Amino acid sequence: MAVCVAVIGKDNSPLYIGGIGNDTSSDNELSRQWLVHTALDALEERLTTANPNNSGTNTTTARTDLRDLYLGLLFSTDTHKIYGYVTNTRIKLVLVTSSTSPSGSNIRDAEVRTALRRLHALYADAICNPFHLPGDQITSPKFDKQVKNIMLNNV
Amino acid sequence: MADDIIFELLHSEIINYSIEKFKNNDNGEKETDLSVVEYIGFAAGYKIMERLTREWPRFKDELDTMKFICTDFWTCIYKKQIDNLRTNHQGVYVLQDNAFRFLTNFSNGHQYLEYAPRYVAYTCGLIRGGLANLCINSIVTAEVQSMPSCKFHIHVQRT
Repeated sequence: MAVCVAVIGKDNSPLYIGGIGNDTSSDNELSRQWLVHTALDALEERLTTANPNNSGTNTTTARTDLRDLYLGLLFSTDTHKIYGYVTNTRIKLVLVTSSTSPSGSNIRDAEVRTALRRLHALYADAICNPFHLPGDQITSPKFDKQVKNIMLNNV
Repeated sequence: MADDIIFELLHSEIINYSIEKFKNNDNGEKETDLSVVEYIGFAAGYKIMERLTREWPRFKDELDTMKFICTDFWTCIYKKQIDNLRTNHQGVYVLQDNAFRFLTNFSNGHQYLEYAPRYVAYTCGLIRGGLANLCINSIVTAEVQSMPSCKFHIHVQRT
């Protein structure tokens, strides 16, 4: 079960960080921000290694990484696993699962992939809001509700 | 049956409205202010690009992005592809559309040529907005020599 989901903008500013569980505790809020922030480094590293010189000496595995938006497991700590997804418009989506809870420890890669694709679709809908300026944080309660749905459905 | 024309009608009314509303009566010259229309196109292009690139694999380089604009992006909005793409590989691209949808109803030559710029401003903004969302900052201008063919010049700003 996903613990936290984050949408990060082009210039690495957080557009949305949402989690389930003890939302009101400030400790949780801080630890979520910290986890997502550490994920940024791993994302950049994956992007630059997937973009070596395009002179045709790429192996086929590097080429599939280059074409895929989903980046897979970025890294895992003792308690959490972090998955990343970068869109063509340089928006980064990060999903954090807890590896200690019983439902979170056996999450399959395919489930995370579909969850992140659904999140991408939700994000595309959220920015079509005419009152949303590019680069602003996403404050729509509908987006919030749908994201929490995705996190809970991921059982 | 009338679906194809709805966007064209809306577009021409936006142009008429903007020009009437922002007409600067102080200076005696006949200058039309198209920056508002260009910005409308920019905002639309920015938002539509997010939805369009959702199912598309990652772009390899800038040229790949330009080809996407010429095929998918143009097909989605104007129901056809760009007829000719030229580049000097230094950041300048020329997209040529031989039957630009907004100009096909005008004339087949040089009649009404002086009104053509206002009908391509929105599209310049659209391209600029789409590229901005893909992190390519650019300046887009258009050139109409004979209707309905139109060329869009894209200068990519590399810092």
